[in-house]
Amino acid sequence: MSVKVEQFPFPFTEDRYAYSNNSSLLKPARSITITDHYLKEIQLKRELLQANHKRCFRSLPISLESQWEAMRRIFAELAQSESEHFSLEKRGNEYRFQNHLLGEEERFTYRDSSSIELQPLDIAGRHVQEDLIIMGDRHDGLFLEAGQLCFPSNWSLTFVLGMEFKSIHTPVPGIDQNDFISKVERFISRIRLNEAWERKNWSMTISNMLDTPLETYANWGKLRLKVTDKNVGEMVHLRVEVQRLLRLPMTNDILFSIHTYLLSLNDLIQNDLWLKRLYTTIQFLSDDIAEYKGIALYKNELIQFLEKTLNEKGLSL
Amino acid sequence: MDDFYEVKVRKVEQLTADIKRYTFISERTELPSFGAGSHITLHLPMGNRQYSLINNPLDMENEYVIAVKKIGQQEGGSSYLHEKINEGDVVKVSPPHNYFPLRLEAKHHVFFAAGIGITPFLSMMAYLKSLGESFELHYAPSSEDDCPFYNEMNEMYPNQIIYYFMARDSKKKKLKETLKNLKVGAHIYTCGPQSFMDFIVDYCRELGYPKKYIHEERFKPAKVIENPQPFEVTIENKKKKVLVQEDQSLLDALHKAEIPLAFACRRGICGTCEVKVCNGEVLHNDAFLTDDEKRDKMLACVSRGIDHISIAVD
Repeated sequence: MSVKVEQFPFPFTEDRYAYSNNSSLLKPARSITITDHYLKEIQLKRELLQANHKRCFRSLPISLESQWEAMRRIFAELAQSESEHFSLEKRGNEYRFQNHLLGEEERFTYRDSSSIELQPLDIAGRHVQEDLIIMGDRHDGLFLEAGQLCFPSNWSLTFVLGMEFKSIHTPVPGIDQNDFISKVERFISRIRLNEAWERKNWSMTISNMLDTPLETYANWGKLRLKVTDKNVGEMVHLRVEVQRLLRLPMTNDILFSIHTYLLSLNDLIQNDLWLKRLYTTIQFLSDDIAEYKGIALYKNELIQFLEKTLNEKGLSL
Repeated sequence: MDDFYEVKVRKVEQLTADIKRYTFISERTELPSFGAGSHITLHLPMGNRQYSLINNPLDMENEYVIAVKKIGQQEGGSSYLHEKINEGDVVKVSPPHNYFPLRLEAKHHVFFAAGIGITPFLSMMAYLKSLGESFELHYAPSSEDDCPFYNEMNEMYPNQIIYYFMARDSKKKKLKETLKNLKVGAHIYTCGPQSFMDFIVDYCRELGYPKKYIHEERFKPAKVIENPQPFEVTIENKKKKVLVQEDQSLLDALHKAEIPLAFACRRGICGTCEVKVCNGEVLHNDAFLTDDEKRDKMLACVSRGIDHISIAVD
C-alpha cells in the first residue's frame, strides 16, 4: 500500500546511482517507525503470518537469546518513543507490554520460553510495521540466524536462513567490485553497543504490494509485462526500504529492521525535485542494475513517462 | 564524540591489599545495558581510563561495577581512584563498549587470566552460568594473598576454576598441558599482563589452534590525536594542493577546495572516505583499515598527515 507523500523517505540525494555505504548514525538509536498505515499493515502482516507462517518466520536455536533481547528492546523503544500508544511495565523479570492501538497486551517472563507461545522475534514483529532480522556476529562472519519477514522485495527467508552476509548478497550485480561487500561487513562489525545506523535501499514494484517474496514471484513478477505508457504512472511504485542496524548490547548480535514504503509514480511526480532526481537516476542506471531491480522490462515506458511529465511541467534538468 | 553519564559511587569495597571494587549508579538516567566482556571509560583528571565491567549483564539494575588494582605511580588513574574516590562522589563515564565479546557459538569457553586480568571473566562467567553454557577458568593470581574474588568465585563456580599458585616454570608447564588438551570447538580467551597473553597466544599458534578461536583483551588507549597540527596535502591526480588547518579534517579541507569525496560516518568506522596515500607519513586514527591497508590508505575524516603528504582521490 502506498504511503502518504509527506511520510515517504525519498532515497536519492544525488542525480546518479552508485553503490555506497550511505549510512548515517541515528541519535537516539531507533529501530522502529510508526506511520499512518500502522493498522492496515499490521493486519496484512498478521494475515500473511497466519497463512504462511514458515515462509514469514524462521529461526535457528542459537538466535534465541538475541530474540529475547530484541523483543524487550523493541517494546522498550515503543513505550519510550510512542508513549501515548504503547507501554511497558517491568516487575523483576516479569514484563507487561501494552499496545493501545491494537488493544492488545503481551505478558512474559524474560528468557522463560514457557511464558510465551511464539518465539520472541515472532511476537515483537506482530506489533511493528518493520520486518525484523537477527544477524549473529560470529567469529567467522555475520550470519542470518532469525527473521520475521512479511514484506520482502524478491527474496526468500527460507533460502537465506543460516547464510553468511557475503553469500546472501551474491545476487547483487557488481557487489564484489573493490571489495565493496567486505567493507560493508567490516563496517557492520564495528557498530558499537546500543548504536543504530540507517540507510535507504530502493527498487520498483508494480502495484502497491508490500508482500513480494521470491516464493510468489509467479504471481507478481508477470505484472512487469503489463506496464504500458498509459498505466505506468499508476502501476509503477518506487519502493524504499529504510534499513536500520542496531548492535544488541548483551548478545553482541545485530538487529536489522526493514521498513518498506511504496509511492506510486503519479504521487511522486507531484514533487519537482523528486521527479528530476528519479529521472536522472533511471537514465544513468546500468543494465545489470536495471535487471536486478526488475526495471529492465519496462524501462523505456518509464523513461518516456518521466520525460513527458518533465516537459509538461516545463522543467529542465 | 561519545555521550557520557554522571554516575555516583554507591559502594567502595577493599578486596585485597591493593584491589578495590567500585559500584556506580545513576539516579537520574537509565544506564545503557552491556554484554559480558564490555568495559566503560572513566573520565579522570589525568585522562580517560578503561575498566572491564564485572557484573552479570543479565542482572544489571542500572549499575556498573568495576574492580581496580592500584598500580605504579602516584599520578596514575588507579591511585587516583584508590585515594581520592569515595562513596557518594560523582564520576563521568562513557557508555560501555565491547572489544572482547563472548563467542556464543563456542562449544566450550576456556578463560586464561593472570592478576587483575580476571575482571572481564567475572561478567563472562556469571553470564554463561545464567545461560547454562559450559566454561572453565585458569587463573594465575599474583600471589595467594592477592587473589581477589577467591571465595566468591569458589562458591559460584566450584568445579570450573583451576588456580595456578606456583613457581613460574611449573606454571608454564601446567598451562601448556592444559592448552594441549583443549577440545575442538572450544574458544580461548585471555586477559592479563602482555607477557602472559603472549605466552598463551604464541603457544596456541604453535599448537596450530585456529586463530579465530583465540581472543585477547587488548586495552588500546582511546585514540585521540592530541594537539592536531596543520599539514599540507598534494592531490596528485588532481594537480592540486590544500592546507589542512589544525581544527579541520582532511575531508573538510578537500570539500572546501571543491574536491568531491564521498563520506558517511565521519568517525573512522565506515571506510567510505578512504583515499590512497602516495607519499608521506600518516597518523591513523580510524577503527576500519587493516594494518596492511594502512600502508597506502587513510580515512580522510579522522586521520591526519604529518607536515606534507600526497594522496590520490577517485
